[in-house]
Amino acid sequence: MTTGAGQGGVWKLSALHDIEASPPRLTLGALFGAFLKVSMYGFGGPIVWARRIIVEERGWLGEAEFADILSFCQFLPGPNVVGVTVCIGARFRGPAGALAALAGFILVPWTVGFALGAMLLSYAQTAVLQGFLRGIAAAAAGLIIATGIRLLMPHRPRPVALAIAALAFAGLAVLRLPLLIVVLGLVPLSIALARPQQAPAR
Amino acid sequence: MNPSGASAPLVGHIALLAMISFGGVPGVLPDLRDFVVGANGWLTDREFANCFAVVQAIPGPNMILMMSFIGWKVGGLPIAIASALVTFVPPCALAYTAFGFWDRFRDAAWQRRIRRGLAPVTIGLIIAGGYVMARTGSGWASLVVTVAAVGLMLATRINPLWLVASGGALGALGLL
Repeated sequence: MTTGAGQGGVWKLSALHDIEASPPRLTLGALFGAFLKVSMYGFGGPIVWARRIIVEERGWLGEAEFADILSFCQFLPGPNVVGVTVCIGARFRGPAGALAALAGFILVPWTVGFALGAMLLSYAQTAVLQGFLRGIAAAAAGLIIATGIRLLMPHRPRPVALAIAALAFAGLAVLRLPLLIVVLGLVPLSIALARPQQAPAR
Repeated sequence: MNPSGASAPLVGHIALLAMISFGGVPGVLPDLRDFVVGANGWLTDREFANCFAVVQAIPGPNMILMMSFIGWKVGGLPIAIASALVTFVPPCALAYTAFGFWDRFRDAAWQRRIRRGLAPVTIGLIIAGGYVMARTGSGWASLVVTVAAVGLMLATRINPLWLVASGGALGALGLL
């Protein structure tokens, strides 16, 4: 307890940070390979595979640090998993690591996926494929909604958060406002209404 | 085919959407659909839904591929590649720059406040993205599949791949 931090939760976090401050020395090839695998496995939800491969299989990061990077990337713009790729690559090998991980995540999977998908789209007029794609779209829409609901669960005790989420949903889905308007309108309001967190776990 | 003048506005709009897509790209789908299908008529509703369905059916970076296919429909392979690049390069540059700064102040009160403020907006946008995609589906049977997928995802630990495959199978059998 000799650290200057006043709050229990903060102390724990920085202690964790110290433990994890010396990451294993990874080669650029290992980063490339790991994120190639994440991308090629990642039907529907690449986040699931990013966690499984980086935390469980390779043991490069602990749960807490992976969650920290993920939550950071979740509110940066752009495809979340790509952000996670860049941050983890950078964490281990700086700019070169970020590029290696990103190249693994995108180059081969994009080429394979584009060729496969272009073929599927060319035959998209046949009745069976139409039905197949319609069924996949319906299920995938459900996965996205469920992911959103999962993410909303921890915010249940905060009526303000639920109201903001409902407003964002309504603005985009019901009122059909442009995304930029919804984001610029709600983000400042939401941050203004967010009470700074008091002592964690009372 | 499509007017060649469509390429630049499309790539520009995708670039803009990518930079404001807090919470990931699914949240921009409603806006993208209104721009591409509604305002400009470059794709039909069905073609847009096909692009979304195809990227769920194949591995790889889904949302980058989705933008690529829309670019491909509008302006061929060069625009497909341009659409992919504007989807991930600027956000990646931002992520790289911001990560060092963010990591240094991870315990600061202001950072926790921003995190708590942004999360609900992000979540509302994600759910709206799923809702809009569900609405492009035709009829009650598709809706049942969507609702069932939501229920199974929340209530069980089933691999999402099975849900996607089951939806595809039901559709291929002509039930949707």
